Amino acid sequence: MLRRPQRASKLHQRVMNTNSLTQAPWHQTTVEPLEYHRKFLKENCRPDGRELGEFRTTTLNIGSITTADGSALVKLGNTTIICGIKGELAAPPADAPDKGYIVPNVDLPPLCSSRFRPGPPGEQAQAASQFIADVIENSEMLQREDLCIEKGKLSWVLYCDIICLDYDGNILDACIIALLASMKNVQLPEVHVNEQTGLAEVNMKKKRHLNIVKHPVAASFAVFDNSILIVDPTSDEENLSTGFITVVIDEEEKLCTVHKPGGTPLSNEKLQDCINRAITRNKEVCKLLNKVMKSMKAK
Amino acid sequence: MAGIELLSDQGYRVDGRKPNELRKIQARMGVFSQADGSAYIEQGNTKALAVVYGPHEIRGSRSKSQHDRAIINCQYSMATFSTGERKRRPHGDRKSSEMTLHLKQTFEAAILTQLYPRSQIDIYVQILQADGGNYSACVNAATLAVVDAGIPLRDYVCACSAGFVEDTPLVDLSHLEESAGGTQLSLAVLPKAEHLALIEMDSRLHQDHLESMMDAATQACKDLYAVLDRVVRDHLQEVTTSIGE
Amino acid sequence: MVCLPLDAGAHKFRHMADRRLREFGCEQNLLSRPDGSASFVQGDTTVVVGIYGPAEVKVSKESYDRATLEVILKPKVGLPGVAERSREQFIRETCEAALLTALHPRTSIVLILQVIHDDGSLLSCCLNSACMAAMDAGLNMRCLFCGVTCAIDLDGNIILDPTAKQEKESRAVLTFAIDSVERQVMMSSTKGAFTTAEFHQSIAICQKAAESIFQFYRDSVGRRYSKS
Repeated sequence: MLRRPQRASKLHQRVMNTNSLTQAPWHQTTVEPLEYHRKFLKENCRPDGRELGEFRTTTLNIGSITTADGSALVKLGNTTIICGIKGELAAPPADAPDKGYIVPNVDLPPLCSSRFRPGPPGEQAQAASQFIADVIENSEMLQREDLCIEKGKLSWVLYCDIICLDYDGNILDACIIALLASMKNVQLPEVHVNEQTGLAEVNMKKKRHLNIVKHPVAASFAVFDNSILIVDPTSDEENLSTGFITVVIDEEEKLCTVHKPGGTPLSNEKLQDCINRAITRNKEVCKLLNKVMKSMKAK
Repeated sequence: MAGIELLSDQGYRVDGRKPNELRKIQARMGVFSQADGSAYIEQGNTKALAVVYGPHEIRGSRSKSQHDRAIINCQYSMATFSTGERKRRPHGDRKSSEMTLHLKQTFEAAILTQLYPRSQIDIYVQILQADGGNYSACVNAATLAVVDAGIPLRDYVCACSAGFVEDTPLVDLSHLEESAGGTQLSLAVLPKAEHLALIEMDSRLHQDHLESMMDAATQACKDLYAVLDRVVRDHLQEVTTSIGE
Repeated sequence: MVCLPLDAGAHKFRHMADRRLREFGCEQNLLSRPDGSASFVQGDTTVVVGIYGPAEVKVSKESYDRATLEVILKPKVGLPGVAERSREQFIRETCEAALLTALHPRTSIVLILQVIHDDGSLLSCCLNSACMAAMDAGLNMRCLFCGVTCAIDLDGNIILDPTAKQEKESRAVLTFAIDSVERQVMMSSTKGAFTTAEFHQSIAICQKAAESIFQFYRDSVGRRYSKS
């Protein structure tokens, strides 16, 4: 299920650094990281060989966790995110008796990077959870009415737990892909409320997929030196950049979220550039998603 | 033992294994870039991930620092979607805290901590899918991760569980066999010297049966050792050839 | 000391035009303990901010090349939750871009925002009060900033500075922080779905509205220092 990252190992990497000419000596990357990155950006490329508007290789594995009702593992370069969705039954909310709940949660455990400490979720994890919740609501990817089983009595709660396993920048994009793919993977059993007893009866033999109507996809950008926009930043690039922007757009080119938490001011033209890139990214991701879904059906 | 028959008359278990047969093991080392060492293991349907950071300077309170050895910091967590019923807390509940402590004690016995005074080694394990033998999957994954991180060990630590049904010891229990409520033994072994790093037994067992159960579990750990050793050697082979290019 | 915008009277009839900001005002230096403080009123939405710093920093949060900025947002009632954390992040990163934190390495600047009343456009009110408080604290800044919220209703009309009721009835709510130098978008937080055209239109309207807030900043500071 998990594949090896491009870099074979720490040992391998160290040897590569001394052997090959394309890699910079360590003192440049650690002592003057900013200068090191600038050198590449001047030539319109990045230390890992990408162009400024290029995403890292995205791989997708759907349905690998059989204990979850829906699951997906996403790798965006080295960044690895796993999402598992579990459905539970509960009484619908009092203010909306014909709806169900979707509860997303993003976990950044200390295992994914040495920057995170054990303990309660930090600000970044909480902000990411809120971001995912906003995207689900704004995009209306599925009708919450579909999750209602019997009005005012019983509805589904979808717990979407997203765990980062390896943090190498740009988790928001990877989280959205993981969420979308596992939502498409969810199969819920049929449930009836027995009118005489008032109890829920679950028919595990009859399962159905969720009706996902919109496919929101995120594209994140980092601003370098207050001017250069680079797409899909790695962890190193994130640390050096002066601002971030994440654009979430669905397949009908409707914006779901333009998330820019401060940082360098951007002109309208730059914002439009980001939106345009997000539109093409949506097509790329939807294509990948369809391809993986199709190959699963073939099996 | 009510309900299902764990061992058929022909001597096969519910999933078709023989009593002393392990489940299928698949493992990979060096799966992540950020960590100093990492490994992923699948033992049947149990999927576990282990990540090692360190040795590095002590984080948090300085008072934990030991002048003559490294301290081992563990965290065991289970993904909320890893079990049949959704888990409310991935870690910090009693069972996870106990597991964290067991892991810590196991690896304190195996890692040559005296080589790194005043430092800390973090071992984080995450269960992605649970189907019995969580402790053993975690120990085995953590061993591979520690090897991947290049931290000196006395020996591999191999762990396996064993049960006892109808006078026959069963090894590497699945969730179904665990939940039947019989005796369960967890064993962590340093296989070359046959030293026991950790042994834990639940519920009741006649003293006469303990030896056969221990023997079966130790043998299973040795079988596991052969598998883990193969994984490490293959990984090393792969790394050295890619350097050679 | 209380300042009101010069053309406060003009804002009274806001129902006539939705392209106007609600009546707004500000009081600076209202708290004695913090190094800088301000309360900002936008219609019925009110936020009080206190700033402490540059002061001593916890070793774990220390950064060697700049001041560490901490933002704490206290809701009107109850304990802060995930939504507050997310707003804190927005406010902190906006302030980080505006404040010259590199002037005070190895220190901390703490911003505490207390929501007094929320009647829509809360995030923009938080940003405005944070900027006024930073001015009051005498912190060096690269530029000033202001927050403007607008809502897009079901018919596609853009309503500036919506009330809580208007926010609830609308299809999308967008909040921007605009900088005072180039009038560009420093921060963007959106709710609901909208088209690219609507997005740009909203920015244009907010940029226009930002002018009156910046003029208000200028006037209030001018008045404050001309009197004494």
